[in-house]
Amino acid sequence: MTRFRILFFLLLGMTIGTGVGLTIGWIAWPTEFTDANPSVLQKAYRNDYVQMIADTYALDNDLPAAQARLNELDSNPNAILLETITDKVLADVNETDIRRLVRLAANLGISSPVMVPFISEDSS
Amino acid sequence: MTRRRRHSDEDSNRHMPGGVSITGWILLGLVIGLAGSLYYAWVVSPVVYTDASPARFSDQFKREYIVLVSQSYALTGNWELAEQRLAALDDSALAESVAALLDEAIRSGESNLVIRNLAVMAQQLGVENTAVSRFGPGTGATVTPTPTQTPIPPESTATPTNTPRPTNTPFPTSTATSQPTPTAQPNYRLLDQQRVCDNEDAPRIEVNTLDAFLNPLPGVEVRVRWQGGEDRFYTGFKPAFGAGYGDFTMEPEVSYTVFLADGSPEISGLRVEPCDSGFDGGWQLTFQNLRFGATATPEAEE
Repeated sequence: MTRFRILFFLLLGMTIGTGVGLTIGWIAWPTEFTDANPSVLQKAYRNDYVQMIADTYALDNDLPAAQARLNELDSNPNAILLETITDKVLADVNETDIRRLVRLAANLGISSPVMVPFISEDSS
Repeated sequence: MTRRRRHSDEDSNRHMPGGVSITGWILLGLVIGLAGSLYYAWVVSPVVYTDASPARFSDQFKREYIVLVSQSYALTGNWELAEQRLAALDDSALAESVAALLDEAIRSGESNLVIRNLAVMAQQLGVENTAVSRFGPGTGATVTPTPTQTPIPPESTATPTNTPRPTNTPFPTSTATSQPTPTAQPNYRLLDQQRVCDNEDAPRIEVNTLDAFLNPLPGVEVRVRWQGGEDRFYTGFKPAFGAGYGDFTMEPEVSYTVFLADGSPEISGLRVEPCDSGFDGGWQLTFQNLRFGATATPEAEE
């Protein structure tokens, strides 16, 4: 009985301690994640990041660099680029921004019906 | 006897074998549980953020992000948007961070485009240092290190009599040797490339040519190529815009490639793009001669 009571109170303390510890570690003071990469960005930030990649490509025409930046976003960067284009088309944003995205996508070999209205004859 | 029995009952309630009370065992369990769960929550299975902001980027990606913001700002000229993007970094020493990144870009030999655009953004943030004054806006042709030879203004060389005004006539392609080919070691490098969105005129490709000391260089042949056509012009025929200035009117929906006949990188993909102001914008390219410090005289047409 005595040993049972020891075990009982010990386990009671551990249960309370575990609950408090997990609350602190996961909710109150979670680990500060400060080494993030673009793949964990919130969607709005991610779309903006993709837009800046397209803007930079429009400026320097460095396709490998643009591809490398997109690769940091996801294992399937083409899908991310297409998703960004679609979001922007549906949101009816500045057409210039969309054209830059479409130009990048076209030069990466991506094609989709959503891009058609924004593709110029000379896509270079 | 009663007192002794009560005393022994109290003992059995407060103290377990070994002298540890109930409270002590509970506290011991509490400490063990707390330590173990904190280790698990912070080390083994920490919270994984999937909706992060740029503020959570590693240093490497923060630098990359700042470069992208500067490039996008150079293209659009939208400072308000650039400020919003930079604010997402949540950096209390943002200006210092951008200044440090500019220094790093210069030391690591980044492209002139990246350096200049970072310098422009740093200046917008109020940074004042040598790097910004050297590479920021308003530099280039206006920076005059003390050259040993003074540049010869176009007027003093007289307008070349056998050089026609630039027209949109097709460039002759009948001879096999007439096609320009980029040299392995070009005489010029691209010093700057930026959008031009500041007037109501037809969009143009504006070219500024400079010598090695960053002085305007007139008489440089600039060639422009597009699908189905090619043309050329010489710098220095519009002295009001600068001794080393020349331009070419762009057409919409056409992609142009620009290079210098004496040897330079080919700058391709230049197109008319609408500016935020509503007008169509062109491009401004600045080339620097890497071999000559004196002004070359305009070359006679072949």
